[in-house]
Amino acid sequence: MLKRIIPVALAICLAAPLAAHAEYPEGPVTIIVPSKAGGSTDATARLFILSAKKFWPGAEFVVKNVGGSGGQKGFEEIAAAKPDGQTIGMVFTTQVVAHIVSKRARYTLDSFHVMGNLNDDPEIVVVPPESPYKTLADFAKAAKGKSMTVAVNGIGSDDFIAAKKFEENAGVDFNLMPTKGSTEQKAAVLGAHVDASFMNLSQMFAQHKAGQARIIAILTKKRSTLLPDVPTGIEQGYPVEMTATRGFVVSAKVPAKIIKKLDDLFLKVQNDPGFIAAAEKDNQFLLPMTGPEYLKYLKDLQVETKRYYDKSPW
Amino acid sequence: MIFEAAQSLLAPSALLAVFIGTVAGIIVGGMPGLTATMAVALLIPVTYALHPLTGLVLMGGVYCGAMYGGSIPAILLRTPGTPAAVATAMEGYPLTQQGRGGLALKVSVISSFVGGTFSTLVLLLTAPLLAIFALKFGPPEYFLLAILGLVGIVSLAEEGKLLKALISGVLGLAIAVIGTDPISGNLRYTMGMRELFDGVSFMPALIGMFSITEMLKLTGASHIVHETVDVKSIKREPMPKGLGKFIGLGSCVGTLVGILPGEGATIAAFISYNLARQHSKNRRLFGKGNPEGIAAAESGNNGCVGGSLVPTLTLGIPGNSVAAALLGGLLIHGMIPGPELFTKHGVITYGFILSMFLANLIFLGIGLFFAPYFARISLIPTSLLIPGVCLFSALGSYAMDGNIFDVYVMLGFAVLALVLEKGGFSLGALILGLILGPIAETGFAQGLIIGHGSLGVFFTRGPCQILWAVIVLLLVPPALQFYRNHVRQPIPAAD
Repeated sequence: MLKRIIPVALAICLAAPLAAHAEYPEGPVTIIVPSKAGGSTDATARLFILSAKKFWPGAEFVVKNVGGSGGQKGFEEIAAAKPDGQTIGMVFTTQVVAHIVSKRARYTLDSFHVMGNLNDDPEIVVVPPESPYKTLADFAKAAKGKSMTVAVNGIGSDDFIAAKKFEENAGVDFNLMPTKGSTEQKAAVLGAHVDASFMNLSQMFAQHKAGQARIIAILTKKRSTLLPDVPTGIEQGYPVEMTATRGFVVSAKVPAKIIKKLDDLFLKVQNDPGFIAAAEKDNQFLLPMTGPEYLKYLKDLQVETKRYYDKSPW
Repeated sequence: MIFEAAQSLLAPSALLAVFIGTVAGIIVGGMPGLTATMAVALLIPVTYALHPLTGLVLMGGVYCGAMYGGSIPAILLRTPGTPAAVATAMEGYPLTQQGRGGLALKVSVISSFVGGTFSTLVLLLTAPLLAIFALKFGPPEYFLLAILGLVGIVSLAEEGKLLKALISGVLGLAIAVIGTDPISGNLRYTMGMRELFDGVSFMPALIGMFSITEMLKLTGASHIVHETVDVKSIKREPMPKGLGKFIGLGSCVGTLVGILPGEGATIAAFISYNLARQHSKNRRLFGKGNPEGIAAAESGNNGCVGGSLVPTLTLGIPGNSVAAALLGGLLIHGMIPGPELFTKHGVITYGFILSMFLANLIFLGIGLFFAPYFARISLIPTSLLIPGVCLFSALGSYAMDGNIFDVYVMLGFAVLALVLEKGGFSLGALILGLILGPIAETGFAQGLIIGHGSLGVFFTRGPCQILWAVIVLLLVPPALQFYRNHVRQPIPAAD
């Protein structure tokens, strides 16, 4: 009798931890947000959690803000996290590829499994309210005559690459002023300390509506529903496009089984009407992309960014 | 509209939210490692489910409460709960050692209340006008503001130790260089460590320099309170006279600095503390427990609260990181900063502003009532106190970013501070260099870009000229003093 019980008991004892181990997620899932608390990337992560909890009842998610150094600190931390799927993270463009191109990063795109993209924030060109420039043509013409001071987020950011693209396209040379982020850019434009700023739509549309600043172009294929009166760069004869995407990744070393679960969760959140409604209420612009789609987008962006880097390294 | 706003604020749920927010804020502010920014960011998804006003007053309460809460451990344990309470620690803790912790707490809560209320009043009445003032400040002005703060090193210096104070300031500036270059994005002195990409973490360094160092020094004593003092009874003292001037000064400086986008309560507290130090009749008492210093510093950092909301609400430019998180809370309810906030969403906006008066009243009540009880913390035997404070300090340093490296930063700075203090160097000057270095650097570099490479930009702009005048005025009294001490009375020849 005992001879029969022992193997069974042993089997149960050994199987129990195995079974428990298969139950991913084991404890809270950390989401690394490579920017400060309260920003728009942070808000995206927190809305993601609200929705994700519906699909994984009982699971816990923790946001870890790793701000500074243009997101590099955070990106590195996602890539270096223990590959058990308990740590996932967000990336944003163009910074995530710019750090690779400028050879500062210790990660590459291969370090990540890309889960997909959630939203974006279109690039805009904005001038102070009393500025004489009403269109991109005015602006480009004036920039040929004098060196225009243009505020961008840090070097290698979407603003910076967009300004570089515009310089190339219009054949001008800006006096670029890197800042620590949108707060400084807003203050510089509203206070007319600079001639213009390349920044993102969500950061300035309220000031545009209130007449405190003037957006002269939006650098996407189509006009924004938020500001239908602002023409695109393409319409104005300057085919420059740029947008800041915000997606989710996880270390590429995570076991395939867990990656499958995470991808499934990501797709469910992306299509969750509750998430879509909340994001729209927060004035986020949804740009759903699946993992493979977003990976291709990132790879193309890296090639493009490298072209500008090789021309004039920063 | 204001009347309507007041009515909606009187709803039980709103009142409860203000109370809970303020109490939670005091706790968050009082724990080193927990910040108001973190608390507000955590609350954003929660407020999504609440009525917009309830959610906002909850966050406003946290903001007001945290700014005051930081001063409690600063005074009692020399452990600043927030960076803005460092100046408070420099004056408050010596009072605690003299057995006058109760008085220090009382001065702190009253100054905090006046500063907070004054700045909220300014926000309520003149927000749009002051927003225009904020916009006048560009990069060259920020550079000069940082210089103005650095001039404070001269007034922070104890007599005969000016050179050592200046060296400490330069040391602070040098440490601030570590991290990512703000203009080129290059990494400087990070030694390949990811943890240093964003520079040396400020809060763990502060906790190390103040709290851990003090605990090390206390190991030989039985109590924080000096043994010559009657330990059995913590005296209840009336408010000292003549503090009004310093509270007024702090409130004005705090509100003004708060209005400038991107500047924080720490700088406001330091600038008003230094101004008070220069203009006090009891200058010699500073650094040894002067209630005037507490009054200036605490009214200064609480003055920032209302001030920082001026550009946040009118222009959508957050005054500091807490205001940035609050901005996220506004946007999630579809309330977009700008004139509409005061018209279309007026009831909620004014309700929110009015709730801050209430939050200030709540922490005043709590602070005054509990001050004598809090003060008894200084009577805990050090055998219990030291392990407790060290534990919370290490935990707090870790919790800031969830990074074990920051605990090493704390320990490293504790050793550094101990050596520096023994050598007669000034920790206050080092901290000023550490805080103001990045602001001065960014302002200088961006100013040069705006000026297309010409230094003229720092002299020709109107606000710059005013700042230069203030800087010179601040340097005149110490220069005269120096002249009197060293030139007119020749140094006696050493024999």
